[in-house]
Amino acid sequence: MRWPGRARATGTRLFVVYAVASLVPVVALGALLADGIRQDARDRGLELGRAQAAVVGEMVVAPALQGSDLTSGLSTQEMARLQRATDLAIFRGSVERLRLRDFDGSVLFSDDGVATPEVVAGGRPRTAADRAAEAAEMAGSAAFRVAASGDAHVTILDGDSAGIQVFQPVVGDASGRSVGVLEVVLPYAAIAAEVEEAKSRTYWRLGAGLAVLHLVLAGISWSSTRRLRRQAAESAHAALHDSLTGLPNRELFRKKAESAIRRSGGCAVVLVDLDRFKEVNDTLGHHAGDRLLREVARRLAATVRSGDTVARLGGDEFGLLLPGIADPADALYLVQRVSEELSAGLVLEGVPLTPEASFGIALHPADGDTLEELLTHADAAMYEGKRGTSAVVVYDRALTGAPSHHLSIQHDLRLAIERDELRLEYQPQVDLRTGRTATVEALVRWQHPTRGLLPPIEFLPAAEHTALMGPLTEWVVSRAAADCAAWTAAGRDWVVAVNVSARNLHEPDFGGTVALLAGQAGLRPGQMQIEVTETALPVDPDAAAAALATLAAYGFGTALDDFGVGYASLSHLRSLQLTEVKIDRAFVAGVAEAGEDRAVVAALIQLAHGLGLAVCAEGVETVEAAVWLQQVGCDRAQGYYFSRPVPWTELAPDGHWSPDRPATDSRTKVMT
Amino acid sequence: MTRTRRTRLSLALSTLLFVAACGGGGAPSDEPDGPPPLAVDEELRALLPEEVRDAGTLTIATEPSYPPASSFAADGRTIIGFEPDLGAALGELLGVRIEFRAEGFDTVLDGLSEGDYDAVMSSMTDTPERRANADFVNYFRAGSAIVIARGNPLGIHDLGGLCGETVAVESGTLHVDVLARGQRNCGNQPIVVIESSSNDDALLELRTGRAGAVLTDYPPAVVASTDERTQAFFQLASDVQYEPGLYGIAVARDRAALRDALAGALTSLVRSGHYQHVLDDWDVGSGGVSVVTVNGGAV
Repeated sequence: MRWPGRARATGTRLFVVYAVASLVPVVALGALLADGIRQDARDRGLELGRAQAAVVGEMVVAPALQGSDLTSGLSTQEMARLQRATDLAIFRGSVERLRLRDFDGSVLFSDDGVATPEVVAGGRPRTAADRAAEAAEMAGSAAFRVAASGDAHVTILDGDSAGIQVFQPVVGDASGRSVGVLEVVLPYAAIAAEVEEAKSRTYWRLGAGLAVLHLVLAGISWSSTRRLRRQAAESAHAALHDSLTGLPNRELFRKKAESAIRRSGGCAVVLVDLDRFKEVNDTLGHHAGDRLLREVARRLAATVRSGDTVARLGGDEFGLLLPGIADPADALYLVQRVSEELSAGLVLEGVPLTPEASFGIALHPADGDTLEELLTHADAAMYEGKRGTSAVVVYDRALTGAPSHHLSIQHDLRLAIERDELRLEYQPQVDLRTGRTATVEALVRWQHPTRGLLPPIEFLPAAEHTALMGPLTEWVVSRAAADCAAWTAAGRDWVVAVNVSARNLHEPDFGGTVALLAGQAGLRPGQMQIEVTETALPVDPDAAAAALATLAAYGFGTALDDFGVGYASLSHLRSLQLTEVKIDRAFVAGVAEAGEDRAVVAALIQLAHGLGLAVCAEGVETVEAAVWLQQVGCDRAQGYYFSRPVPWTELAPDGHWSPDRPATDSRTKVMT
Repeated sequence: MTRTRRTRLSLALSTLLFVAACGGGGAPSDEPDGPPPLAVDEELRALLPEEVRDAGTLTIATEPSYPPASSFAADGRTIIGFEPDLGAALGELLGVRIEFRAEGFDTVLDGLSEGDYDAVMSSMTDTPERRANADFVNYFRAGSAIVIARGNPLGIHDLGGLCGETVAVESGTLHVDVLARGQRNCGNQPIVVIESSSNDDALLELRTGRAGAVLTDYPPAVVASTDERTQAFFQLASDVQYEPGLYGIAVARDRAALRDALAGALTSLVRSGHYQHVLDDWDVGSGGVSVVTVNGGAV
């Protein structure tokens, strides 16, 4: 479990708050208890003094007085009895001071024999007036008044003469009669020491107990904050990570990429799309698919640099964020290394596999200022990679054009389909043996409300690889089928050829869709030919092959367009369910004159025928080329020499070509 | 303590009500239990000897070891009980300050004769012998009771049970005579009598085991056996009151005017209900007299 630093800091702060907050009541409790102990210790001292003084009063003083009421002072006998009764206790220090006073405050008996010193502070002999004043002062004191009214008054004398001072009434006899006030000072040192010891013992216990209590509280709060923190971290992690691979998800990728973009120094955004993942899922099961994804995730993460981010963006799509990379060559080098590491073989469910992926790279700041731009560009580069031979492609602006332009075109094109602004024009393919038009290829045009009639190059690249391709192709198929039905009804037996994109072939049951649309127009499958660009095949050759096979099974013609310039291997010709190949105009343009192109085209015709395929030459612009092609056995030809694309109603209904009687479309000739 | 406080409170209340009645023109009393307010009765006051009226103070002697009649309060100096309360009420009627003074019981009549104080009010039973030295204004009726140790270890149930035991009594009381009469039935197991200087000293003899029983008046016997400080040690041998007699306020025989003034004032208190209220306040309402007599005791 990794905790983000901030979460750990927050957790620690939370714990400190808990610890301090719990310390407050603990310390308050401690202070309260300590105060209680102090008070108790003092009360014990006072109570002890009170009890001892009561014993002294009742067992020593009262018996010595024998019921005398002291109003007339002490008799000699009473004085002697008092002295005998108290001598030993005073001598041994059990009583530190003992004085008997009448209710006026005058001393009648004192432990040291003298009521008050004979001299006052200034050295002057003490007079009767002095004594009276002192007695009056005593009689007015709070302690004395308490004792005179029947209660004991106990105080603890601190300082050098530590003692417990008690003023209490002298109860003279059993009837409870009070005859005077007894002042006793009892030794306190021993009691104080004992009390002090008990106090410190209790403090230690209390302190230890409170410390343990606080430790327990702290432990509880520590464990609960840790649990909370872990839960928070887990849910934060779950919100930002993919559960299958443990990699950051699209959200975290976005955050990290945006922060990398904000920092200057550049960064590379790489989109990674696994090849043939669907096949693994379909044939080996989702479990194997998941294992493959985990393994890919592991390899990607293991190969990138430590500061890089690998994220699973969804399905079989991953994203790499390479901060600090601004140079295309650096990016290419890094990603190629990743690609190589990724494609090491592995065995999945007993099946040996080579994981391969297409990597599209977009660089900040060269390829965009926002993440959306970078992702769009990386996506475009990745699709370029899928079409081409290189698994790793760095975005090139020239590759796809301005993406913002694309977006607006996509939007407009969608509206165009709804508003029926698209048109189909048809270019004939002439059967070179008969000179008659055999097939007409439907080519889409856009009657743009402001820009006029737009050729496909103006809008198809924008729609390519987008979801728009589905409805667009469906519209073309269904309109072409309707047109074909119309010219069939007009007595023409032309087959209609429709171009579809690689993306169409990947749609589920594309063949069924075409068959349905053709059927709705009342067309037989044999009246329609589906043309696929050779460069569309490598994206997912297996899916394309399956789609072509389905179409062929329905009975539709299938042609490979632009043959010779793409990267498809010749094996495609053998493995795909095709009925025709169309040789790219790049070769055909040169056949009017003797040269290498003638050799290539002738060889291609031979090859196709050898595989049982018809051959159509594209881009025939001169009679010489047409004648040569006829001579080398090319089956069909198409080009401005015969006719440029026009609405079908403008095509010559029974056009017939021979070298002697050239094509009838004068406009074509003007064009050439 | 409780009783004292209640008494003071009710007195304070009655004073308050009295003031309210005077100022407010006779508002009905909210406290039917309270004693009627007291005011100086000039007719009774006129009966007082001139020297007493001039002094403004009437000194009454008592032996304060006889709760609930008279005893020391917790301060050891104030004397409380129904006797001081009655005395105070008499003082209010007569317009003089009453001062209670503690004296030994066995010599209290001597002090009266010598004029040390004006009267004696000390649970003193009005007897012919005492009437030789004083006149008695009778204010209460009570008999004797036997106090024994809690648990009755000696098995004493009546006066006969005292034979052969040591019994403490307060010196100078009639209980001394009661025991002397009881000796006649004891044969060769006489009662050993300890005469103590006060009732509390007699109880002290019992508490310390030096005596097996105390003969005393019924009210203090009840207090000794029920007060929370002493009930753990004392109990009554039975509820019988022996030889009941009348308590009297003793006044010197040569001071008839004072005697009549006190009798008149007491009669007024009995009539007004104040008297009964004071007795009830001390839980001795059953010992009250309905008619105040002078020298009405045993012949």
